[in-house]
Amino acid sequence: MEFYDIIFYLFALITIGSAFVVVTSRNIVYAAFSLLFTFFGVAGIYVLLGADFLAIVQIMVYVGGILILLLFGVMLTNKITSVEIRTGTVHLLPAAIGIGILFGAIISVMLWTNWNISPEPIPPSTTANIGRELITNYVLIFELLGMLLLIALIGAASIARRDKE
Amino acid sequence: MELANLYQSINLIIPEIVLSIALIVLVIADLIFHTNKKIIPFIAGTGILVTAIFVINQFNYIGFAFSTATHTARSFGMLAVDSFGVFFKLIVIVSSFIIVLLSLASDEIQKTTDRIGEYYALIYGMILGMFFMITATDLILIYLSLELLSLSSYVLAGFTKLRDRNSEASLKYLLYGAVSSGLMLFGISLVYGLTGSTNLYIINTLIQNPHINLFTLSFATILIFAGIGYKISSAPFHFWTPDVYEGAPITITAFLSVASKAAGFALLIRFVKTVFVSYETNEGFWSLIEVFDWQSILVVISILTMTLGNFSALWQNNLKRMLAYSSIAHAGYMLLGLVVLSNQGLIAILIYFMIYLLMNLGAFLVVMLIANKINSEEIDDYNGLGFTSPLLSVSLAIFLISLTGLPPTAGFIGKLYLFIALVDAKMIAVAIIALLNSVVSLYYYVRVLKHMYLVKATASTPSIIPSTSNAILLLVLVVPVLIFGVYFQPLVEFAKDCIVILGI
Repeated sequence: MEFYDIIFYLFALITIGSAFVVVTSRNIVYAAFSLLFTFFGVAGIYVLLGADFLAIVQIMVYVGGILILLLFGVMLTNKITSVEIRTGTVHLLPAAIGIGILFGAIISVMLWTNWNISPEPIPPSTTANIGRELITNYVLIFELLGMLLLIALIGAASIARRDKE
Repeated sequence: MELANLYQSINLIIPEIVLSIALIVLVIADLIFHTNKKIIPFIAGTGILVTAIFVINQFNYIGFAFSTATHTARSFGMLAVDSFGVFFKLIVIVSSFIIVLLSLASDEIQKTTDRIGEYYALIYGMILGMFFMITATDLILIYLSLELLSLSSYVLAGFTKLRDRNSEASLKYLLYGAVSSGLMLFGISLVYGLTGSTNLYIINTLIQNPHINLFTLSFATILIFAGIGYKISSAPFHFWTPDVYEGAPITITAFLSVASKAAGFALLIRFVKTVFVSYETNEGFWSLIEVFDWQSILVVISILTMTLGNFSALWQNNLKRMLAYSSIAHAGYMLLGLVVLSNQGLIAILIYFMIYLLMNLGAFLVVMLIANKINSEEIDDYNGLGFTSPLLSVSLAIFLISLTGLPPTAGFIGKLYLFIALVDAKMIAVAIIALLNSVVSLYYYVRVLKHMYLVKATASTPSIIPSTSNAILLLVLVVPVLIFGVYFQPLVEFAKDCIVILGI
């Protein structure tokens, strides 16, 4: 399994490195483009875990949809590319303590937990199963997601609309 | 899943289906009647009333819906219909109906008539989210319903767009909400990793396994509590409350402070009861599984919540902001009912919620009617109003005294039952702290009365006489607060009927 490990660390490195650039970059276009690599890295990890459907969705929705929209937004907005984003730090000590505790907790969770491991082997493709589950056992979730999207659409229209003066 | 199971499940979610249909009718009606939108509020009100009928029909129903029979021999559903859920659904429905009436009377909302269809559609989105939150017994459904509620409320918090404060409220709500729902989702994923199930009942059996990692489970539970605590604005997650309550349109503020909080409490109580309680003793105390000490955590959180809420409220000059802090404090009181982990505590919470609904919505109604006229919520602008506008001032006085918890108003009964539950569970120290908190709250509530009654009215003090329909609505809220203060037996009986939480 050596080879898989190398690929995993490669993708992990891409994800973390580009995420770091997203947060620290002062240029919003650079930040948006680094986000591309973050999403790509996460999609790679999904593939390694055997979650093929999730990986495709990650690429299609995040990279193909959200990121492109984000870039459009950035480029269509006047002068936003030259705006200096403030990336200063405030309240360094409390933040460091909080993050330290959270980091410690997550690391110890990662190291010392007996995760529940499913006895079944990973199926070669998950797409068909997910589809079947969504319209049988999880049909309520599926329908409710439809309502959620409708509400999101109404809300977006409401925010975007300009009030008549 | 078999079709027979599906039909039976659909029978159990009729109120939710009616709500969804009403939402779609609203959207279509908004398109058809785009020149004259007077009909939209009536459609919204009717939809809520029809839903109420179906909710009441569910009263003696009990059962699971949408069970996934594949995991185990015994199947547990994705949502549970029981009298506890019906109670909270009724709280949500009643407050929604009052909010529709409030919106009709609010100048702020009436100024945005051409967007009124979206306004009610989003309110329906909130109601739908809350309904599923109240009944959900599956972590996926819990998360999804929480998002549905949040998403609608983010937009509504900034709905009027009249002032910068609206957008600020909306954005702050969104940022805090995104963080806390992210934390909650992380907690959910940890629980799934530990147990391999998202169903609360199955998780309950699995965490009794001695091999479970207590640290990971506690960490995940705290993360999940972050999501719920944000909805009920309990102590470490309350920072959004004052800004959002102050900036949002007043109808939405009132709705968030009652209905959204009720749904959050229903979710919290059901979550604690289903996942962490192994059995009920004969005296009605809940016996916790020894994996997470809810009692100590909740004692700390509730004391912190009420103390922070009450002490911050002391310095507020804006009445809406003051009521926001007071609603934080009330969340703290109500958490006390959960702290005792007994049926008696649960009854106390239910009684408190019925009364809280009346007095809090009432207080917001008066503030709104006054703001309609003087366009301000600053306490200094209330000087002398007691002499020029007797009806509003007397009602506000009654609501505020009831919020403090003094007899002969209903607020006293609510607090009384909470304290009795605490004393019965031998938590005298906690009861005393809560009592002292009530004393502190007296100061800021009475300060409003001082401004209204002890400052002489000047020539510029406006005289505010509400329209007949508003006066009737006000009386509908004020009279029960007084009646339930002396004749509270029906409330108690009703609450006792509503404590059935569907268990294993």
